[in-house]
Parts: sequence; C-alpha cells; structure tokens
Amino acid sequence: MKAFPLFAGLAALGMLAVHYLAFVYVPMEVTMGASQRIFYIHLPSAWLCYLGFVISFVASLGYLINRKARWDAAAVTAAEVGLIFGVVVLVTGPLWAKAAWGVWWKWEPRLTTMAILFMIFSGYRLLRAFGGDGPGVRVFAAVLAVFGAPQIYFVHIAVSRWQGDHPNNVVMEPEMRVALYSNLGLMMIVFFLLLRLRYRVRRDALTVSALKRRLARMGAG
Amino acid sequence: MTTGFLATVRLVLAKDLRTELRSKELLATMLLFGTVLTFIFAFGFVNDPATNRKVMPGALWAALLFTGTLGVGRTFAREADADAFTALVLSPADRAAVLLAKILGNLVLQVVVLAFVLPLMAVMLRVDLEGVVGLVALQLFLGAVGFAVVGTPLAVMAVSARFAEVLLPVVVFPLVVPVLIAGVKGTGVVLGTVIGDDPSPWISIMLAFDAFYGVAGLLLFDRMVSE
Repeated sequence: MKAFPLFAGLAALGMLAVHYLAFVYVPMEVTMGASQRIFYIHLPSAWLCYLGFVISFVASLGYLINRKARWDAAAVTAAEVGLIFGVVVLVTGPLWAKAAWGVWWKWEPRLTTMAILFMIFSGYRLLRAFGGDGPGVRVFAAVLAVFGAPQIYFVHIAVSRWQGDHPNNVVMEPEMRVALYSNLGLMMIVFFLLLRLRYRVRRDALTVSALKRRLARMGAG
Repeated sequence: MTTGFLATVRLVLAKDLRTELRSKELLATMLLFGTVLTFIFAFGFVNDPATNRKVMPGALWAALLFTGTLGVGRTFAREADADAFTALVLSPADRAAVLLAKILGNLVLQVVVLAFVLPLMAVMLRVDLEGVVGLVALQLFLGAVGFAVVGTPLAVMAVSARFAEVLLPVVVFPLVVPVLIAGVKGTGVVLGTVIGDDPSPWISIMLAFDAFYGVAGLLLFDRMVSE
C-alpha cells in the first residue's frame, strides 16, 4: 500500500508538467487565442466524466445480476468521481464560452445534453446520500445508473445530429495533440487514484458492518 | 396453475383499473392537479395570442410531467398494504408481465388526464388547435409512454427508499428530459412556433426513447425484484 502516496505525489508533480504543456508549450491558437487553452483540461475532463458514468453503469448492471455489495460500492464511487470531472467540465465550459461566444451559457445541444447527464447522476448521488442504505435503495440506484448512462449517447451525437455550435472533432496540430493526451493521461491517473481511495473507504465500511453483524450474532448466541 | 404472459398483463391491469374505477382517488386527484396547473400556467403566461401559442407546448409538457409524477408515484401504493407486493412478486406470474401491466395502468390514467388537460389548456390559453390536434395528441401519447416506461420501474424500487416521494421526481425528471425536449420542439413545429415544418425527427426520437427504455425496463425488472 506504499504505492498510493507515491502515485499521488507523482500525479501532483505531473499536474504541473501538463499544465506547462497546455499553457506554455502549445503555440497560441489563431482564432480564439489564449482562451483555447482551456480545451486541454475541458475535453479530458469530459471523457473522464463519461468514463466514471460508464463504470457506474457496468458496476450497477453487475450488482443487479450478482447482488454483491462491493459492486454497488464501485457503482457509487465511479458515479461520484465522474461527477467531480463533470463539475470541471461545467466550470471550464462556461469560462471558455464567455471568451469564445460572449455568453456563459447557451442552450446548445451538447451543453444541454451534458447538463442533463450531470443532473441524472446528481440525482443518483442525492439518492445515495439521503435515500438510506437498504438493498432496495441499492437496486433503485442501480436501475437509475443503468437508465442514465446510455444518455451519454445523446451528448456524443448532439453536435452533429442537431447542428450545434460546440466544437466537434477538431483538427489538431501535433503540439496540441501532445498537450491534450498528456493532460488526459495525467487526469486519468488522478481519476483512478480518487476511485481507488473512495472505493477503499466504502469497501472497509462494508467489512466493518459485516464484522459488527457477526459480533452481534455472537453476543446473541 | 400458471397463466400466460398476456393473460397476466390483462389480469393485473384489469384489477388495477377496477379498483381505481371504484375509488377514483388517483384519477380525480390527477385531473384536479392538471386543472390547477393549467390555471397556474394561464395566470403566469397569458398574453397576446402569438405568445400564448408559443407558451402552449411548454405548459402542456410540464403538465404531463407533473400529473404523471402523481400517478407513477402511486403505482404500487395498493400493493404496499399487507405486503401484497411480495405476494404479487412471489406468485408464479411473469414479473415482466406485472411491470407491463403497471406501465399500461399508468398510461391509461395519463391518457385520460391529458385528454382533459389538452382541450382545457387550449381554451384557457385561447390557442386554436384546429387541424393539428391529432399530431399534438400523438406526440403527447408518445411522451406519456416514455414517462411511464421510465417512471414505473423506478417507482417500484423507490418504495424502499427513505424520502421516496421527494426523490422520485428528482431522479425521474432528468431521465425523461430528452422526451420533454423532443415533445416541446415537435409540438412547437406542429403549432408553427418552432422553425421547421416536419415534426417527424422529434417523433422518431420519442419512439426510440420509448422503445429503448421499455425494453430495458422489462428485461431488468426480473433482476430488480428478486429477493
């Protein structure tokens, strides 16, 4: 378990490096200028947000099939980490929009569908926070994640299907690609660090409550 | 003795409709709520005829969501007494058939309510629906199907959550927003307030949504209620 602090430390240092790439190394984009540099944080965050929801979808489906509490713990955790990256998307997006379009928000297809996706999983997280923790709630939440995650498809097709203004399939210079994918790689490390950390807390909580139940049975018997 | 899939659907649906027809509690509440909503929208938005026509789709679809929530939230209310839900699930009846019957039951209520709210709203907002009423009704129906196929299975599970009455709309509304958007746009096209002259792309989104969530719910329901 010594690997975790090591990775966390390296990720912190790496974060400085990839920010250097995004904000200094990449040449200035011609039409949008400096504001375009948000892209190197914005797009990887969106991908990782989807990744979190997809993992939540798979774990929820698994939970519906095998009813193992750990699968449920993985589903909540992935949704939660996905939401964190979703917040990054929804904060960096309007900052960039204000610079590029002159408004913080537009009811543009991709923005709309992304906001809906974020709301679905916010509802999911709310349910987990306030809905109690019985097996029934877990199943309810699992169905919600299974129903919710496919709407990533709407976000994906939004721009081409409904003629959005949001950039889509942009053509990139080699330096841009370097900055984008190194940001993605590093943020992915952060994603999995967070996932592991939160999952361990939940897994340990499950172990503790199982031990408590055993103890109570021994006391009674 | 086991009954076939369609026979189970028919039996559960007939039982629910019969009890509802006797008490009329849910239908009466939904109808009154639909009326109240129409008044609220009228008070809030009534303006010149052109504006009213623009407001109509949004008001109509919001009314669908809100009245639908009342119905869906009570889907298994009758089975909550004396743990009849467990009995229903433990019976040899196909569980997907039970869900389908519940979806259809919610849909029937919703259709009745909408058949009342649509003309009422047209009168209150003074919107002329002549010639377009069929297309508006078709879209509302597809929207009601979408709401029922998403809301009903979730409502089943919600009974076991704390705080369920409050949480159910919070989690169901975002899921059905695609249908709401397609419905508002499609209805707007039909009423001539949204650019375009063909509502069929919006209708096909609703059809795809209904089919996807209908099938997903029926496939998953068996896994949802086991244990």
